[in-house]
Amino acid sequence: MKTTEKTELQLLSEISRISNSSIELQEKLQRIVEAVTRGMEKDGASLFLIDRSGRNVYLAAAIGLNQESVGKLSFPLGQGIAGWVAEQKVPLALEDPFSDPRFQYVPETGIERFKSLAAAPILDGENCLGVIFVLSAAVWHITSSDITLVTTTANQISGVIRSAQLLRNVQQRLSELGTIHEISMAMTSTLDLSQLLSLIAKNSAQALHAEGCSIRLLKLPETQSLETAPAYSLYGEGVKDLDARIGESLADMAIQGRQPVLIGSSSPQTQLPLPAGGSAISVPLLFHERVIGVITVYNKQGGQSFAEDDLQFLSTIAGGAATAVENAAMYERMQDLALKAETRARELSMLFDISSALSSTLNLDRLLRIILTSVTMGGTGLGFNRAMLLLTNERSNFLQGMMGVGPINWDEAGKAWSEATGKHTNLMEWIRTGDLFERRDVAMNALARGIRMPLDPKEGVLALTVLEKRPYNIIDASASPLVGRKLRELLGVNSFAAVPLIAKDRVLGVIVVDNMFTQRPITDRDMRFLATFASQSSLAIENAIIHTNLETLTRDIRTMHKQLVHSEKMAALGTMMAEIAHEIRNPLVSIGGFTRRLAKKVRNEDTKRYIDIIMSEVTRLEGIINDNLQYIKEAPAQRGEEDLNAAVEDILTLYAEELLQKNIRVEKSLDAAISPLLIDVAQMRQAIINLVTNAMEAMESGGVLTIRTYRIPGSGQVAVEIGDTGVGVTPQAMESMFNPYYTTKQRGTGLGLPITRRIITAHGGTIEVGRRDEGGAVFTIKLPYMTRKPAGP
Amino acid sequence: MKKILVIDDEENIRQLYKEEFEEMGFEVTVAGDGPSALAAMEKVKFDLATLDMRMEGMDGIETLRRMKEKDKGLPVIISSAYEQYKNDFGSWASDAYIVKSADMTALRETVGKILG
Ligand SMILES: Nc1ncnc2c1ncn2[C@@H]1O[C@H](COP(=O)(O)OP(=O)(O)OP(=O)(O)O)[C@@H](O)[C@H]1O
Ligand SMILES: [Mg+2]
Repeated sequence: MKTTEKTELQLLSEISRISNSSIELQEKLQRIVEAVTRGMEKDGASLFLIDRSGRNVYLAAAIGLNQESVGKLSFPLGQGIAGWVAEQKVPLALEDPFSDPRFQYVPETGIERFKSLAAAPILDGENCLGVIFVLSAAVWHITSSDITLVTTTANQISGVIRSAQLLRNVQQRLSELGTIHEISMAMTSTLDLSQLLSLIAKNSAQALHAEGCSIRLLKLPETQSLETAPAYSLYGEGVKDLDARIGESLADMAIQGRQPVLIGSSSPQTQLPLPAGGSAISVPLLFHERVIGVITVYNKQGGQSFAEDDLQFLSTIAGGAATAVENAAMYERMQDLALKAETRARELSMLFDISSALSSTLNLDRLLRIILTSVTMGGTGLGFNRAMLLLTNERSNFLQGMMGVGPINWDEAGKAWSEATGKHTNLMEWIRTGDLFERRDVAMNALARGIRMPLDPKEGVLALTVLEKRPYNIIDASASPLVGRKLRELLGVNSFAAVPLIAKDRVLGVIVVDNMFTQRPITDRDMRFLATFASQSSLAIENAIIHTNLETLTRDIRTMHKQLVHSEKMAALGTMMAEIAHEIRNPLVSIGGFTRRLAKKVRNEDTKRYIDIIMSEVTRLEGIINDNLQYIKEAPAQRGEEDLNAAVEDILTLYAEELLQKNIRVEKSLDAAISPLLIDVAQMRQAIINLVTNAMEAMESGGVLTIRTYRIPGSGQVAVEIGDTGVGVTPQAMESMFNPYYTTKQRGTGLGLPITRRIITAHGGTIEVGRRDEGGAVFTIKLPYMTRKPAGP
Repeated sequence: MKKILVIDDEENIRQLYKEEFEEMGFEVTVAGDGPSALAAMEKVKFDLATLDMRMEGMDGIETLRRMKEKDKGLPVIISSAYEQYKNDFGSWASDAYIVKSADMTALRETVGKILG
């Protein structure tokens, strides 16, 4: 055997031994280059492999070159000696490679230590797997047998690589299958979209040995209802900033091209700011030809860049992920729909519950309690923490707090919840048991009742709710110009909502709600439901208000009627009794009187006895009449609700001519507020005539007659004032003028003033006389202000 | 002989009073209403009058007032079937107020006292 043949055989058998050993491919390649160096009796050897993309060769193992270049040095096919051999698939011998135009000098490798080299492609049929180099430190005159040996060695290596690649493929498939299995496990284990996304991101990152992974979902029309579904998920804190910077752009590229995008620091086709040595793959998530999102992995661990096989793998994962994501999204949509249907059903049943509760009472107070409880009840209720109800008063144009429900602070809240939990779940039941109307929430109620404000836009949100007939959802009260400090401090919350209670275009009031304790934000849906609820309540409230008003009215009428009937009855009875007494008494007087006269004239005892019987019977009848009259003696005079002012006017008309003749001017000021007045108008007219005639008689040479009627504030009395500018009252007259028969006049009877006083006192009033500074006298009558109406509320 | 004017719209009462007072020894003139009473006062100066307050309200009082206008010094006894005016006017508007009764004793005593 020739030395060459022997060497060749030794080399090949060594390679075959290496190939059959159970060490890693990398280790095998390293041993192969060692064996080649030794076997060829040269100074070094290197081995390039085609990468997964098939577009580059990279240095996989070397002897005599700097080890740092292993795994890093890479040439595109056709470039450099390795690239040229791999592309041309032919061996090459270069005694002076540095002068060859195909040679690319990479100083980091330390290639300058060598003078000559021989290279051969590692072929698998038509496929090139890599390139083997034999390096010589001295100038090497390369023979054809040298070339043959290198080529043979390369063929041998090809087997090693193929089997290793097969193994690796199998392993990778297994690992991929594992990943996909894991992902599909995840898919079936959860239908929660956000959980699924983070699972996919994590698994993908791990499967591709990436530093991190992000998933972006597109906002599709179908998924717009997914208010809670995240459109984004990220795994790997380390790539968070990177994803924030370039994730969108990468995703855009993947979506636009509808195909995977791979970028690395060495790929010149992108300006994306990747860190040195970084790489990324973005793969669109396609479901039924539709892009639903993008998955992106960043930075392969161990300093390598992502390669074509990583891209294929991620695409495989993305296919499964897309289906899973779509399923989850679908599920959430359905859940959302189901939830909506359920919520709607719950809302409807609750509205039904509430409306039957509302119609269960016309008592305003109970009704308000039901309304506020509905608002604050969890379960079937709207579930706000606290609620207050304010009603508008159209007459006074004020908004007045009526009732408050809920705990006023945390202490009360704690107590209330431990007591109330699960006690009543159904409003009607609560109403039936009567528990609802027990005294509760005293502090909150007092707080509500303390609110009172004019319906003026300046008063802020509550007044505006009424005036503008629209709901307000105040999220940040401290920043809202509509919420004054007073209201904010009163409520003690920074978020609350107010909805108007509108019935037939009329705003009856406002419901104010807050979530002081759960701090749950008040959503648009809450507001919509609250508005529906408020309109339901408004009708009930209006009915109750009308009913309450009616009740008060009927009660008033009933009382009034009773009083009227009583006084009228008594008056009628009195008049009747007086008439009867009068009509009976007169004939009785005749009968009795003449009988007595007869008695004096008869001597016959029998006749006398009969006369006595007649007389005693007459006496008995008179007694009966007296007794009855005694009973009605206190009956009021013939009083009715009269207009005293009109009576005064009548009197002035009656005396107009005389006043004119006597040159007396009349000044009158009659207050309509004294009418109607419960008086015997005929008697009262007489009383006033007496005063007016006295005044005229005191002003024989003219003057001014003043007549005033008015209500005396705060006294429940009315006054009639009659003044003159006449002769005035002497001290003596002052003392005696009300005595009967006291007069200073030629033709006076002195009965005018006594009669007047009698009439006034019979009406429960008083009369006084005074001197006026400007001369003359003034008489003041004071009467109790009485009407048939009961005292006002 | 002292003269008494009896004013009453009831014929029987006028007759009864007339007989009673005549029995007491007085000269009696009767009148059926206010105007005829005032007319009688034009012709005769009476020493006493009995007045029936038969009319409601002020009307009876008005007659009394007119009579007082004519003869301020004339004592008047109100003789009424109405009990309820007793306290109103009885105390001062007239010299006496006597509720009519078949028992004449009270009336006779009062007349006797005034004309006594
Ligand atoms: N306006 C007055 N100014 C001054 N004195 C008065 C006035 N009114 C009453 N007097 C005095 O009081 C007296 C009593 O009055 P009264 O009305 O009771 O009787 P009269 O007027 O004298 O008589 P008659 O009312 O019957 O005409 C009068 O006479 C008069 O002296
Ligand atoms: Mg007078």
